[in-house]
Amino acid sequence: MLEVSGIGVTYGATRAVTNVSLTVDRGAIVSLIGSNGAGKTTTLKAIIGLARNQRGEIRLDGRRIDHLAAPERVGLGLALSPEGRRVFPQMSVLDNLLVGAYLRRDGRGAHADLERIFAYFPRLRERREQVAGSLSGGEQQMLAIGRALMAKPQFLLLDEPSLGLAPIIVDEIERIIREINTDMKVAIVLVEQNANLALRLSDHAYVLEMGSTTLDGTGAELLASDYVRRAYLGV
Amino acid sequence: MGLGTVVAQTIVNGLMVGMIYVLMAIGFTLVFGIMRIVNFAHGEFYMIGAFVFAIVFDSLGVPVAVSILAAVIVVGLSGVVVERAIFRPFTGDELNGMIASLGLALILQNGALLVLGPSPRSVPAIVDGTVSMAGLVFSLSRMTVIGVGAVAILALYLLVVHTQFGRAMRAVAQDPEIALVQGIRPERVYPIAFALGVALAALAGALMAPVLSVSPFIGLTPTLKAFIVVVIGGLGSIPGAVLGGLLLGLIESAAGTFLSAVVADIAQFVIVIAVVLLRPWGLLGKKEREA
Repeated sequence: MLEVSGIGVTYGATRAVTNVSLTVDRGAIVSLIGSNGAGKTTTLKAIIGLARNQRGEIRLDGRRIDHLAAPERVGLGLALSPEGRRVFPQMSVLDNLLVGAYLRRDGRGAHADLERIFAYFPRLRERREQVAGSLSGGEQQMLAIGRALMAKPQFLLLDEPSLGLAPIIVDEIERIIREINTDMKVAIVLVEQNANLALRLSDHAYVLEMGSTTLDGTGAELLASDYVRRAYLGV
Repeated sequence: MGLGTVVAQTIVNGLMVGMIYVLMAIGFTLVFGIMRIVNFAHGEFYMIGAFVFAIVFDSLGVPVAVSILAAVIVVGLSGVVVERAIFRPFTGDELNGMIASLGLALILQNGALLVLGPSPRSVPAIVDGTVSMAGLVFSLSRMTVIGVGAVAILALYLLVVHTQFGRAMRAVAQDPEIALVQGIRPERVYPIAFALGVALAALAGALMAPVLSVSPFIGLTPTLKAFIVVVIGGLGSIPGAVLGGLLLGLIESAAGTFLSAVVADIAQFVIVIAVVLLRPWGLLGKKEREA
């Protein structure tokens, strides 16, 4: 179980996150919705260790992890598919995936996962020797998710996987997130501006406003909530 | 001597000198590409490599291969220390890292002057004799330099392209923050990358010690050549360093043989200026992305 309790993150003079709490059970899909600048990305960065939380605690299975550096947290079973994909542009698709398995010592298991990722994303297999920078936005998103999966995470943090993608690609990403969650038994923490997509997928969801979690409930509850519908679903 | 022999020897000389430039430039570009350090002290590691080789091989009488290995290992290990003590505090600070490298160059040159004295020291050839191929005669020692250099470059290429450590180095070079979330610790990658870079310079120094002589200031020219090669080939590109280095060596050798040494010097700067004007990202470098 991943527990974030009352974290606050300040970058220089700006307080990006004031008070965020959330809980992610193993195997669950949990999403964070909120407008631009609400602190969603910073929350994920604090969980993976790319940002320091000055206040609050982050625990994985009861053990505090917020003093650990990012590579150590990856070793404990967290992985991030970052905002803006951030694939290694001059490395081949295959090398991007292999570098995702950097900490793994089970070569055979990593190879099996590589095949599984190629099965989810056949286009990555077709383009395995191509440099990642030459892929389309949708393909780069698939690669970023595949690279994170190569670490064999227990908790996969997905930052804006639908951003800037054509609706047909967004549908594909949605289907694949579901499949990954069921087949690989990996919990997913999903940050999305596309609240509709996020709430459809989630077991549980949190609303982030001005750096704080203000509301939470099951995906279905929030989809039905008048406030959420007005503020985030545009109905 | 027939024209054929002159041409063949010019090519062998060019390839030998070029191989040294390639070794220098690869180390230089590797350190810049991964750590963003413009290492002005790069040639000093060449100089130390040459001295270690001269002492171990000539004074102690150790076999050639072991002496070369000793130069590479001593310099590589000192690279780990130098990275930790001098460059680590300037991570992400290109300007001050560059100034620190200038300071390091002065310290190493004058340290060598103090300990080893100013007089050039000559080192006997590592192998004697010649080989004949297709009616042409080549010096065995020059062929050895080319062969050893080629093997070292191939080994480095395989390391960078086909191992997890090589992928980690490339990942850190391309996006250090995202490398962290692949589980890569830059503080473990940097010292090894720096050690590899300066070990290649030491190899170049050891290979050239018997050809030229060894003194505390021999690192300046190879550093300058590494700069030129990297400008020609493209900063951060290993294939570019190979192409640029061999090209520079061959042009220098041809111009030096058929025209004069002055023309050889002019020719290389003309090429650099032409590359900067026509293809500022280098022959095989990556064009900076337009914002």
